[in-house]
Amino acid sequence: MGRRVVVTGIGAVTPVGTGREETWENLLAGRCGTGPVESFDTSAYPVHQGAEVKGFRPADHLVILDPAAIGRASQLAAAAARLALADAGLDPGEVEPERAGVAMGTTSGEPQEVEVFDDHYVADDLAAVGPEFMTRYPCHVIAGCVAAETGFAGVNVMIPTACAAGNYAIAYAFDALAWDRAEVMLAGGADCFSRITYTGFARLGAIAPDVCRPFDKNRQGMIPGEGAAVLVLEPLERALARGAPIYAEVAGYGLSCDAHHMTGAHPEGAGAARAMQQALATSGLTPADVSYISAHGTGTPVNDRLEAAAVHRVFGERARRTPMSSIKSMIGHTMGAASAIEAAVCALAVAQDRVPPTIHFEEFDPECEIDPVPNQAREIPVEAAMNNAYAFGGNNASVIFRKVRR
Amino acid sequence: VSRETRRVVVTGVGVLCPLGDSPAAVHAALVAGESGLAPVAAFATDGLPCRLAGEVKDFAPARYLGEANFRPLDRTARLAAVAAHLAFADAGLPAAARGEREVGLVLGTMFGSVHTISEFDRRALTAGPNYAKPMDFANSVINAAAGQTAIWHDLRGVNTTITGGSTAGVQALGYAADLVRSGRVETVLAGGADELCFESFLGYARTGQLCGAAGGEGCPVPFDARRNGFALGEGAALLLLEEAGAARARGARIRAEIAGQGSAYDPTRGADAGTALARAVRLALGGAGLAPGRVDAVAAGANGSVAGDRQEAAGIAAALGAAAAAVPVTAVKASLGEGLGVSGALSAAALLGSMEGGTLPGIAGLGEVEEGFPLPGATAAPHPVDLRHGLVTAIGLDGAAAALLLARWEP
Repeated sequence: MGRRVVVTGIGAVTPVGTGREETWENLLAGRCGTGPVESFDTSAYPVHQGAEVKGFRPADHLVILDPAAIGRASQLAAAAARLALADAGLDPGEVEPERAGVAMGTTSGEPQEVEVFDDHYVADDLAAVGPEFMTRYPCHVIAGCVAAETGFAGVNVMIPTACAAGNYAIAYAFDALAWDRAEVMLAGGADCFSRITYTGFARLGAIAPDVCRPFDKNRQGMIPGEGAAVLVLEPLERALARGAPIYAEVAGYGLSCDAHHMTGAHPEGAGAARAMQQALATSGLTPADVSYISAHGTGTPVNDRLEAAAVHRVFGERARRTPMSSIKSMIGHTMGAASAIEAAVCALAVAQDRVPPTIHFEEFDPECEIDPVPNQAREIPVEAAMNNAYAFGGNNASVIFRKVRR
Repeated sequence: VSRETRRVVVTGVGVLCPLGDSPAAVHAALVAGESGLAPVAAFATDGLPCRLAGEVKDFAPARYLGEANFRPLDRTARLAAVAAHLAFADAGLPAAARGEREVGLVLGTMFGSVHTISEFDRRALTAGPNYAKPMDFANSVINAAAGQTAIWHDLRGVNTTITGGSTAGVQALGYAADLVRSGRVETVLAGGADELCFESFLGYARTGQLCGAAGGEGCPVPFDARRNGFALGEGAALLLLEEAGAARARGARIRAEIAGQGSAYDPTRGADAGTALARAVRLALGGAGLAPGRVDAVAAGANGSVAGDRQEAAGIAAALGAAAAAVPVTAVKASLGEGLGVSGALSAAALLGSMEGGTLPGIAGLGEVEEGFPLPGATAAPHPVDLRHGLVTAIGLDGAAAALLLARWEP
């Protein structure tokens, strides 16, 4: 049994706000952060909605890094890291840098940098490609920028497991702390709004024409988004010793692979169910202990149905009455950041006994027999919250957060 | 069996690299001082300051996996899927023998395929977004090779991808070993894969990091005083890791033990990577309780970078102390190029070959070293070794450092 690990800080930059408080209050209020895409021209596309982070000024947050020298996902990630450290009341100078690490997840890294390369390529102007392509593009620069901004010099890892990446990064950080490979970890995910991502989901016919309404009978798809979230994780003993605010304990996790299809979920949700079962087993919990599920809930017709089926497989009849909402209805699908932002939501739900709604919900779908917390946040006792995330590649990740019991 | 007593062993090795597709053949070629570097054949390098790279030539996945539809897999994924096949075969664990066993995969890669990503976007730009190829989009995620390899070989356990330049493969092996040690998985493939493509080649040509970029003949020889940058490489290499008890129970041939690992970061993003590497090495040795003097060989990640090689040598020397003066050192990128995500696993495979063959490859082409170079055991000539403990080291291109300790299996 390794050391127990708790969440002591939350930083987020999302389409509904910057920082823990603004993001969380807007999610509880059911604010919608999606709208017409502004960062590039979508007139040639059949769809036009996106979830962009508006008005983000990296210079307001970054102390060490020059925002002009790094990509947008790195800006979002480093800002979220700063916010998380401040939220945890942790001065980077107080931490032994060699024992402080970073684990970040992403789907596309810095896709805007390869888009610039591609613009030069199709313009037959490769002479315009400069050194910044390779210094800014490779996705591990995101974790590198977080380390540079915070001075964290320990374990540093970038996990690009697509739309479940935030959970993978948190799982990595959890183990690094449990196994004493670090004393403090910043863990989360980041992705920036991307033409490539938008094009891909548009071609898959997965983007909703208006809004994202997960689990609704008339749902029409997801809304690509951007953002970042970083959690401060540390051993329980350390958090208690320094009197840190503790949002929740990371109880356990499960990771599995469908080994079935690159972009489609397993038809019986077998892999997703295995991830949930492992998360429960490693947490020492049963479905009856889980008060809230943060759904992957992209809002596509097939994915939501299969996800509901997988939850039924694990939770049995409890699946109908365990609150299970998708904040993607409000902030779209922020890709590699999504499960990190949702992890923050789970930690806050556990801390405050409040759970955010699934907005835009109008009509119950008998094929998604769950309680999606329609349109209104709820105050309920949250003993434990399960964060589910699924990704291209058939990657499934479930992480459970719970109240600290001694 | 607890984390304290559970041991992690290597029971299979699969490699695909510019010097061949079997660990024994690659080891023999490295010992013979052969080089897999040559002018690039896969794409035109006209107008670029470097033409040299290490390619996996005439790569045909059907030769290994049988006739099948490989169209859904890009080159990185094909390399990874074949390396997995080779590792399973080497471990005596083909699909029929795996049965319901849940096998994991931890893949290190730098880019996945920046070629696939760029091509997808360029088609949308030139033909319109409605003509972009959905299949390419599926492969545009950086974990695509791991996902495709899982589909091909029905790997339903933990499946993760770690990216981070030339440290990614070492980090992937270290993480996979920890997953086994903690009991989260029993059997896991770990290593790395990256393809050579025009996009990354041009990108590195523009940073000035490729050999000869500043003019003159390219000299990507690690630690050589004349070195002037790296040559890119490509390939895939995966080790099959198992919990020792389970491996013995199935009668597996145990090739080595993963005895320790460490990683660290230089927050200046590259100026002080040697210090980070020294910490990573100390962590790897400390985890195994091994004194520096008991390291019998080092497989360095040095690639011909002027500053990077100097930092790596200094980091190794700082961590090993007095023992640095005697330890034999190899650097396989002299022959294979900078394979990025695959490179750490290729270094590990080279040490395994040396452990079994008794000879550590030399560094092909190594001439004079710089004054004050702290690793006299780095030579062009191979070293006879009685290799009980071997250290893999790597520093990234921008601040990452990682180390892995391999040990001869002693029950």
